[in-house]
Amino acid sequence: MSHMETSALKRLQVQRFKPEENPEIHYLNSERGLWSWLSTVDHKRIGLMYLASIAIFFFIGGVLALVLRTELLSPAQSFLDADVYNQVFTLHGAIMIFFFLVPSVPAALGNFILPIQLGAKDVAFPRLNLASFYIYTIGTVFTLVAIITGAVDTGWTFYTPYSTETGTNVLLMTLGIFILGFSSILTGVNFIVTIHKMRAPGMTWSKLPLNVWSLYATSIIQVLATPVLAITLLLLVMERALGIGIFDPALGGDPVLFQHFFWFYSHPAVYIMIVPGFGVISEVISTFSRKHIFGYWAIALSSLAIAFIGFLVWGHHMFTAGQSSLASMVFSFLTFLVGIPTGIKIFNWLATMYKGSIDLKAPMLYAMVFLFLFTIGGFTGIMLGALSVDIHLHDTYFVVAHFHYVMMGGMVMALLAGLHYWWPKMFGKMYSEVYARISCALIFIGFNLAFLPQFVMGAQGMPRRYFNYIDQFQPFHQLSTMGAYIMGVGFVIMFFYLLHSLVRGEKAASNPWGSRALEWQTTSPAAPHNFEHTPVVIHGPYDYHKPMSEFQLGIAHGHHGESHQPETLETVAETGTRP
Amino acid sequence: MGMWIFLVTEILFFGGLFAAYIVYRAWYPDLYVQASTQLDTFWGAVNTAVLIGSSLTVAMAIRSAQLNQIKGLIINLYITIGLAFTFMVIKYFEYVHKFEKGIFPGQYYTYEGIAHEKANIFFSIYYMMTGLHGLHVIIGIGLMIWLLVKAKKGAFSAEYYTPVEITGLYWHLVDVIWIFLFPLLYLID
Amino acid sequence: MSGHHISSAKFLWGIGFALFVLTFITVAVTWMHIPGPWNVVVAIGLAAIKATIVAAFFMNLYWDSKYNLMLLVMSFVFFFLMIGITLLDTLFRNDPVPAF
Repeated sequence: MSHMETSALKRLQVQRFKPEENPEIHYLNSERGLWSWLSTVDHKRIGLMYLASIAIFFFIGGVLALVLRTELLSPAQSFLDADVYNQVFTLHGAIMIFFFLVPSVPAALGNFILPIQLGAKDVAFPRLNLASFYIYTIGTVFTLVAIITGAVDTGWTFYTPYSTETGTNVLLMTLGIFILGFSSILTGVNFIVTIHKMRAPGMTWSKLPLNVWSLYATSIIQVLATPVLAITLLLLVMERALGIGIFDPALGGDPVLFQHFFWFYSHPAVYIMIVPGFGVISEVISTFSRKHIFGYWAIALSSLAIAFIGFLVWGHHMFTAGQSSLASMVFSFLTFLVGIPTGIKIFNWLATMYKGSIDLKAPMLYAMVFLFLFTIGGFTGIMLGALSVDIHLHDTYFVVAHFHYVMMGGMVMALLAGLHYWWPKMFGKMYSEVYARISCALIFIGFNLAFLPQFVMGAQGMPRRYFNYIDQFQPFHQLSTMGAYIMGVGFVIMFFYLLHSLVRGEKAASNPWGSRALEWQTTSPAAPHNFEHTPVVIHGPYDYHKPMSEFQLGIAHGHHGESHQPETLETVAETGTRP
Repeated sequence: MGMWIFLVTEILFFGGLFAAYIVYRAWYPDLYVQASTQLDTFWGAVNTAVLIGSSLTVAMAIRSAQLNQIKGLIINLYITIGLAFTFMVIKYFEYVHKFEKGIFPGQYYTYEGIAHEKANIFFSIYYMMTGLHGLHVIIGIGLMIWLLVKAKKGAFSAEYYTPVEITGLYWHLVDVIWIFLFPLLYLID
Repeated sequence: MSGHHISSAKFLWGIGFALFVLTFITVAVTWMHIPGPWNVVVAIGLAAIKATIVAAFFMNLYWDSKYNLMLLVMSFVFFFLMIGITLLDTLFRNDPVPAF
């Protein structure tokens, strides 16, 4: 980037660079051929490859879910054996969590949009980025092999002692996830360094888009938590292969220790999944309310607070596992604390919308769906955090409903909001608003129908992961299955209109939503190196009261042949290689 | 900066094993005292000195690169690799000595000499920690051989020696982990 | 990345020598049979001093950007949190209700 080594304030000569509409050359066609994609170090192409992968895994995980729900239409066996049922829900969970949710916004959307939002040409370590993608792919191959050669039936949490005893393919599956963890770690490293070192001139920490703040917090969690998962899985592998006994009471070990190690990663993991979603929502709500985000620093710092407190609450998954009462009480208290920063965000988003000029386009619809569904999910999480209540609700459908509300009603909705928001930037095409709304409605209705009954069931005692149940729960299960299918239809419609948009969609403007953020001040689809100039930032990304021209500034070059009169603005840019 | 973040992940990675160590030591303190007598303090101390020495030489290697003394860089890398090999060789003999006694990890443990029914827990942790550490040493050796090859081709100079520096950081961390492993495993009173 | 500080050869050898001495002390201390939990405290304390020396002077943290130092410190903070809270469980298993 620039050679601004000093941290002194520096004057830059800038001019306006209006983004070209309908560019001839952009990142999608600048190089052609399969090899150019497989060997690319362009973060945008890597982001798209991740996007395709997670879409495939979402589809597989979704099909597995529909299989489960179909089986549950009536009590007792319908068409699955009990063992196969166990394998199906294990796979549904493992695939959805490790291969879809954890990489989704950070790797897919984040890879694509982060450098553009920072005004950088690429991430800090582009080749490492490609390596991350290949490591992810290798991990998925291992896991798919594990599934095909004999599946796993331990539940996605691999609890000991069952996971050390069972005859299924635990070894291959855990190795697959172990490898995947490295992908997560390397992406986290890449993002942290990129955010520190590769911001455009003038982009101080206080002008960072909130999406970047949330990716930063997510990367910190990824870097700190994933190694602990790695060692946990390694210990599990050793336990199975060598009989080490670290989790085996007969040999002096402790199965609860496995749970401690496992959840030390997996609880922060759920924050890896949701915090990027928060970032997306901040962007979408601000753009479609045409208003400055309410409480910028509150949202930015609350992302970091969630990251930190999120590491301290893992024991709330273990209240009934035999943990000491002292620890349980401490964890319950800390769990209540972690809801506070999240609540702050929700209120801030609502305040942003208040007296804003709301534009109900598809991304905004998804963002509003997010607000509704995630709030329900979040509240029920706090309910579960109450120690005494959890004793009754642990391992019931209440928990299942809670995490689907936060992960699917929260994260997936945020992902869809981001996808619809940045779609024009990624592909230069618009999609059909009408079909997008139909899809959104179907998904919303289907989702609630699928998971609201589960809260009630769970409170009445229906256990999770059970393949058989008593008759009083049948109406709930049937409603739930209906909802699942309606959701499925919604997603199928989405697939088709998005595909249609790629093939025959209307061409997109560079800034179809009128946003002030930096990524919209370049062409749609984005240019091969993101910007044709070095962008200079003088306002935050949410300053809607400033004219658009002031967001399209770049370092004045002699040879760019702009036909405008270069406006010689003096900007005071606090740049410098601050670490 | 990127390398430091990676080192953070390594600290957390080994941290899990240290956590297991601490939990079990709190539960079975006598076991640890007894079992640790099976570990040879002398050779453990020698290995510690060897690794510290290798940290010294890798720091010297970086210094040579900074001063554009490529010959010095190459020599120091050779010595570092040599010391790392020495560490692994000593480790190898330690392991073989234990295997001869029947001290194997996990379910293969057959040694009778410790009057504690949970003895294999200590050794399982011992093998996991030193084994994982040894693996990292081997990876470090590989990295340094790669550096050596590139140095001989003239890839490094006072202007560009970043790979040497970050490999050095990695190597120092491997040393630091051993600095903690040594007293915790070998020097239990 | 680093501050490009170049230590003198004498300095580096000096640090190495200090580390060897500390290692010797670490072993010597076990010949003294310090009671109770203090032997662990002493052992870890010595190890911590050695690790700090390696980090500061071999890994150049002393002259490096403060951010890298913060990274290192934070990783240890998280490590202690992980162990500390886990121990809250494992050490208090036998109390049905907390002792306070």
